[in-house]
Amino acid sequence: MSTKIILSSDGLPLEKSLKKAERKNKIRALLLVAPLFFFILIIFVFPLVDMLFKSVDNRMITEMLPNTFTALEKWDGKELPGEDVYEAFYNDFYPLAKDKKSGKLFQRLNYEKSGFSSGLKKTNKLILNFEKENYKEQFINAHEIWNNQDYWLAIKNSSSKWSYSKYLKGIDLELDQQKKIVQVEEEKSIHVLLWLRTLKVAFWVTVCCFFLSYPIAYLLATLPMKYSNILMICVLLPFWTSLLVRTSSWMIMLQQEGPINNTLVWLGLFTNENKPELMHNMVGTFVTMSQILLPFMVLPLYSVMKNIPSSLMKAGKSLGGTPFMSFMKIYFPLTIPGIGAGCLLVFILAIGYYITPALVGGASGTLISNVIAYHMKYSLDWAFASALGTMLLVGVLTIYWIYHKLVGIDNIRLG
Amino acid sequence: MKKISKLLLALSFVLSITSSAFAVTVVSFGGAYTESQKLGYGDPAAKKLGIPIDWVDYTGGLSEIKAQIEAKKITWDIIDVYAMDTIIGCDEGIFHEFDFDKDFYPAPDGTPASKDFFTDMPSKCAVGNILYSWIYAYNTKNVKGTPKTIEDFFNTKKFPGKRGIYKDALGNLEIALAGDGIKPGKGGKAIYDALKTPEGVERALNKFKTLCTDPNGGCVFWSAGAQAPEILVSGEVVMSTGWNGRFFKAAKVEGAPIVQVWDGQILDYEYFALVKGGPNYENGQAMAALKEMTSPEGLAGSAKYIAYAPWRKSSIEIMTKGEPWFNDGKTNMVPEMPTAPANTKSYILNDPVFWADNNTELQEKWEAMKAGL
Repeated sequence: MSTKIILSSDGLPLEKSLKKAERKNKIRALLLVAPLFFFILIIFVFPLVDMLFKSVDNRMITEMLPNTFTALEKWDGKELPGEDVYEAFYNDFYPLAKDKKSGKLFQRLNYEKSGFSSGLKKTNKLILNFEKENYKEQFINAHEIWNNQDYWLAIKNSSSKWSYSKYLKGIDLELDQQKKIVQVEEEKSIHVLLWLRTLKVAFWVTVCCFFLSYPIAYLLATLPMKYSNILMICVLLPFWTSLLVRTSSWMIMLQQEGPINNTLVWLGLFTNENKPELMHNMVGTFVTMSQILLPFMVLPLYSVMKNIPSSLMKAGKSLGGTPFMSFMKIYFPLTIPGIGAGCLLVFILAIGYYITPALVGGASGTLISNVIAYHMKYSLDWAFASALGTMLLVGVLTIYWIYHKLVGIDNIRLG
Repeated sequence: MKKISKLLLALSFVLSITSSAFAVTVVSFGGAYTESQKLGYGDPAAKKLGIPIDWVDYTGGLSEIKAQIEAKKITWDIIDVYAMDTIIGCDEGIFHEFDFDKDFYPAPDGTPASKDFFTDMPSKCAVGNILYSWIYAYNTKNVKGTPKTIEDFFNTKKFPGKRGIYKDALGNLEIALAGDGIKPGKGGKAIYDALKTPEGVERALNKFKTLCTDPNGGCVFWSAGAQAPEILVSGEVVMSTGWNGRFFKAAKVEGAPIVQVWDGQILDYEYFALVKGGPNYENGQAMAALKEMTSPEGLAGSAKYIAYAPWRKSSIEIMTKGEPWFNDGKTNMVPEMPTAPANTKSYILNDPVFWADNNTELQEKWEAMKAGL
């Protein structure tokens, strides 16, 4: 038995002509989503890829100093390199200095080791008058950094085109002379501590938000419309207020002579001399961040609770359950999708916060995002900032993945 | 009717072209600072020369002017810059190199301009504008006795209470060593020499660690300039470091009980630089405006509106003769100047080259110290 191919009126197989007709619709549909697709591509995907790229890209320096790196390959790093290295460095550096293109190099090498900036700047001026012999002597006379093998080691260590050293630095590790991974000096190791602190703050803020939001969301979902509308406005009004306004309002509330402390003294709970410190410590960070992120927990919880019929609790009670038991066995499990969505949302927002903790957190208010902002804006070490940003992104994705494994991502409901 | 409108259009076009090439564009940091520059010497210079001066805000750094040069569309004539940027800009050929004595007015007594500056310029492309100061101040209501020296800032036995401190390492490490007994003298070279050694840095960090962990002391870190006088007035801290212009405003204009201590102050500075190839570079009008603005009378003018010191020594003389110099008509400004003789018995001159080299590393150590508090 053989199957006959069904032909359409124009002689083409039916399957083909059907596809042809559908293709038009597909293209139309694609054109409709194309603007959004390109928007996401340009605004979101490209910068992310660029960030990943920047964090490992080391080509600027390898392109600027190719001869030097070749010459340094044979150098063992035990004492000052030989004349050939100095000559290679002269050949690389002289054209840059002549065309006034060496500015980027100063900054880039100064990230590797402090002191490069002024050393190179001075050399930059003098190199134009160097004689074409005895390079080593002339460099050493130009600036003392060239008489110190540590600086040559720093150059040698940045010789690969692609480098993961910024990621190592992000967790307080570095490559030593033998390219082994070691801890950085204790007085400079700061990042691990900041990562842990960031996680700690985000975790406790999420916990605070959860315990504060649950009753609010429950009231919102169960009160008669008349009251719940007013309550809803109370939740949404701060949500619409600028972040900085809310943070500075908290600064006024929490300060040493602020309304909260004055009330506590007036009530006789504390004397004027030992008022509690509510700001410039972790307390301030938790209070302010919890309040600011509260709506992100309330709203998903509310939308889930709104859809739980009140008859379920009644049914539980009628079957002999105590209020507590019927809550735990019926109501609470039904709200888990909302809890998941709220907690994930608050945690992810909290992990990237930095303005609020910087203002109310005092010495403890520096989080990993502050370091990223610092390197983006002030030290201009964008590679390191990108590496930290990537690590933060990976961290968030990991949390997302863990949540998926534990609860299941399909369980999340925002409404 | 149609003709008239065409004529008007043509006229406005011509006017817009001439006025845009005509006005000299000066770029500065905005706020009360730019206001003092505009009222103090910008407007008078514009009036005298008949050249309008436009003021534009920016946030510092050379990236914007570099972009303009790369695009071959330079719109800025004069830029208010940090010391470091004048050095880089000069090396990279962005700025015009001055001949100070020829390009700028001498002092009224005939002293050439280069001898009339507070100290030497960091490069040939910079002409001084103001000097401001990082100092500390205290709230007279909350401090018993009178702190007089930089050591007193760290003395929690004599003056118990919390201290307000700038959040970054810059400026703090210097005063820590000054407070620990290294005499700054005139300029603080000894302090920067000490900070170039690891021991010196550790000593400075330990000084702050001791202060911040002391039960009689403690630290509150500030980040924005307005915060320093605010935490002093609110009683959050008993003493705080800060910028003298901010303390002046709080104390003299707003009447807060704040007193500044000038011992061990850090002098920091701002400069003007002239952009090579700017819109009014060839016709000389940018230079003419700059010459007027940085004249002894011009620089003295800005001190009518803000407590930052003019770079010219002779400006101070002009102010002394014209006291009360402040625009409220009753405040003497010379004693409020960071460069006044009474205020410069012992001071540190900010070293931009040192910070360009070491900022990243010292900032890391500073953050590590703060994290351990």
